[in-house]
Amino acid sequence: MKKAVELVLLLLLLFFTPHIMGKRYSPPGKPTLTRCRSPEKETFTCWWEPGSDGGLPTTHALYYRKESSERVYECPDYHTAGENSCFFNKNDTSIWVNYNITVVATNTLGSAFSDPVDVDVVYIVKPNPPEKQTVTIMEDKGWPFLRVSWEPPQKADTRSGWITLIYELRVKLEEENEWEMHLAGHQKTFNIFSLRSGGKYLVEVRCKPDHGFWSEWSSTSYIKVPDYFHREKSVWILLTIFSAFIFLILTWLLHMNSRSLKNCILPPVPGPKIKGFDNQLLKNGKSDEIFSALMVSNFPPTTSSNYEDLLVEYLEVYVPVEQELMQEESKDLHGGCLKCERSTSDSDSGRGSCDSHTLLMDKCGETKEEGRHTDRASSRMLTEAQRHQKGWEKDTLTYAHGDMVSPDMSNGRVKTWPSVFSPLPQYSSNPLDKQSSLEMAKQHCLSTSSCLTQPGHSTKEALGPSNWDFCLGNKQPHLLHPQTQVGRQLQAHSEVNISNIGRKQAPAGLQSPALRSTEYVEVQRVNEEDLVLLQPVVSGCGRIEGYPQMPKGKDYSKVKGVDSDNMLLLQREVMEEDWWTGNCYTSSTVNTTQKPTACIHTAMPVQGDMALAMNGYVDTATMCTLPTC
Amino acid sequence: MPGNIRSVSFVVLVCLLFCSRLTSVGATPICTNAHAGCHVLSLSNLFDRVIQHSARMHGISNDLHSEFEQYFLPSRNQIGRVSRNCHTSTILTPNGKENAQKMAREELTEVILKLLVAWRDPLWHFHHSMAHYDDFNNFSSNKALEMSDMVHELRKGVEKVAEKMQVLGITSNTVNSLTSPEALLPSESAEWRLMKDYDLLYCFRRDSNKVQNYLKILKCRIVPEHGC
Repeated sequence: MKKAVELVLLLLLLFFTPHIMGKRYSPPGKPTLTRCRSPEKETFTCWWEPGSDGGLPTTHALYYRKESSERVYECPDYHTAGENSCFFNKNDTSIWVNYNITVVATNTLGSAFSDPVDVDVVYIVKPNPPEKQTVTIMEDKGWPFLRVSWEPPQKADTRSGWITLIYELRVKLEEENEWEMHLAGHQKTFNIFSLRSGGKYLVEVRCKPDHGFWSEWSSTSYIKVPDYFHREKSVWILLTIFSAFIFLILTWLLHMNSRSLKNCILPPVPGPKIKGFDNQLLKNGKSDEIFSALMVSNFPPTTSSNYEDLLVEYLEVYVPVEQELMQEESKDLHGGCLKCERSTSDSDSGRGSCDSHTLLMDKCGETKEEGRHTDRASSRMLTEAQRHQKGWEKDTLTYAHGDMVSPDMSNGRVKTWPSVFSPLPQYSSNPLDKQSSLEMAKQHCLSTSSCLTQPGHSTKEALGPSNWDFCLGNKQPHLLHPQTQVGRQLQAHSEVNISNIGRKQAPAGLQSPALRSTEYVEVQRVNEEDLVLLQPVVSGCGRIEGYPQMPKGKDYSKVKGVDSDNMLLLQREVMEEDWWTGNCYTSSTVNTTQKPTACIHTAMPVQGDMALAMNGYVDTATMCTLPTC
Repeated sequence: MPGNIRSVSFVVLVCLLFCSRLTSVGATPICTNAHAGCHVLSLSNLFDRVIQHSARMHGISNDLHSEFEQYFLPSRNQIGRVSRNCHTSTILTPNGKENAQKMAREELTEVILKLLVAWRDPLWHFHHSMAHYDDFNNFSSNKALEMSDMVHELRKGVEKVAEKMQVLGITSNTVNSLTSPEALLPSESAEWRLMKDYDLLYCFRRDSNKVQNYLKILKCRIVPEHGC
């Protein structure tokens, strides 16, 4: 009893010990056929994956059955292809025959069958990769390309036509990640173009039968492309130089024409500008400074000048009463002239505006013989006119004189007094003589008449030629030809300028009538004898229209003396004779004046109660009443 | 007037007839006798044409087979299929490279022709039976028709190749037995009717591959210049 119990216990122990120990034996797990491959369609290999072995050593066996027979064969070679594989050699392989393959795992406890797999060798061909791969660099018209060539795998029999393979290659640069694929078809060479200069390329090839699997990639071939870019580089260098050259030329051209271009693209905007007006001062906001800046320092002129010297510069023109009246009327003309001058002489405002009045000024400039002088004179006139625009009403002649003459004397420019000044003869508040003022006024008339653009004015017309003709004289006979009023007046004006020059140079004081052949009118001072003589300098011909230079009613005669017979001896005849030699008076006028002289020459006794002029002048008209006359 | 119209219409008719005759000629006929005036194709060229044709045929059969597998046989249990034999299994075909290379050219050509002949009728019927399958689209039906036409054309081509080889003296005159291959298969004609469509496709896929391969072997054995 005890023994039986012990035996049972032992048996139980033995039985259960493996369980207590933790080890379990079981039949093997189900293996699985993973794949079958044929490298050349003549042999093939199948691999399987064993299942769990169940703790016991298991063996695997592969059995296969061919298509049309029920006979089961076992795998002939378990070792050639490695672990868990079965290799079917040529004798055992039949193409176009369906193999039914099963793997069995067996251990002591049991066996396990895998799922059967149908295999037709034709459709499991996976060749070896291509062999003898070569990559060479070749050149096509200077541009390199790669030529890749290879051989089919040795085992695959393509020569007999048993297998036909198609190839594929891939290329990439060493530093890149992506391959460039190329299908080569049945051919065994391939060209690769568009290479990067100096790049290192990797090339691989693989193959595939008509119906099968792609082979593995062949071993990589390395190739380095030579540097062919240097030729391209030289082209680039040339291009760069050329473009830089063109750029420099363009820059230079732009620089040369920058100003004109600037004017073309961005025309200057005319802005109001007042001479002497400082914008900055305005911004600062000090009105005193602003307006003080506007004031010209030397205006009004305060420098005292020798008025007598100044007088030398002026033309003395004797204007008859009638002419004086007309002067009044011609005030508006002066205004017109002012306007004219003002419009043309506005040099401070924006340029570019063309004024028709400039035409007038151009004519003034053209007709001047001593062009530059007269230009300066006119410009001088203009500037002065402009400057004194505002203050011309207030200014006196004194100021005008001073302003005009003093700066000009220095450099010898032609002096003309500006016609801005009012030629009103009423400016008698100055210390100058009345006559001087008259002369001034006359001169004003003269000068202004040159600028007048209203040729239709009859009075002016009358004024102009009468005043000018005698002075123009033979110097410029062409002036006497019929011309436009404006032109004649301009010419006259120019002559006035010229005469002024002459006047300046000449000593102040007496001047002989025949001093020059020019058309100067000699200005004679009022000497102690209170004789004012108007001497027509011009010796040539001339005509007097309208008014004679010597007014009718003003035949002055100088009393030479009274002789014993109480006869007045007039000097006049002598002078007249001198005069008549050179003057341009018409005979009519001469006759009128000559007659009394003739009377005088006869030395007619002068009656004591003969009316004597205030200053010793005898009114010749009264003398004519003598019977002998 | 009516006389003129009649004559004109007659001329037009004649012209039309002639034109139709001319157009129906089609491609230049291949002259096996190499007489003057015929455009003679080389054997190599013939082989290439035939091989291309067979490759195309195999491709179509492969496509059809895979489509069939997709639609009609979800289970991959192929044990049953193996039991059924193809009706062409009686034709002794070489199952290996050595066997194929050992075979004479004439025999190989004969095998090819036998195979092609054997498949003419079954494919024709297969094409007709495609109409029963609603799942199949028209594209597959057209493929079946194309396949049957191809078999016919391929057979003609291979016959021409055989003729050419005979003329060139490459093969002996024992190929004369191929003139009526239909005589070989009257007893087996009923077998293919028992086969299911799927099995038919399976068998034809394999047989077209065989044809292609045999033709290649022949070509590389006889005219190995290009592509061998």
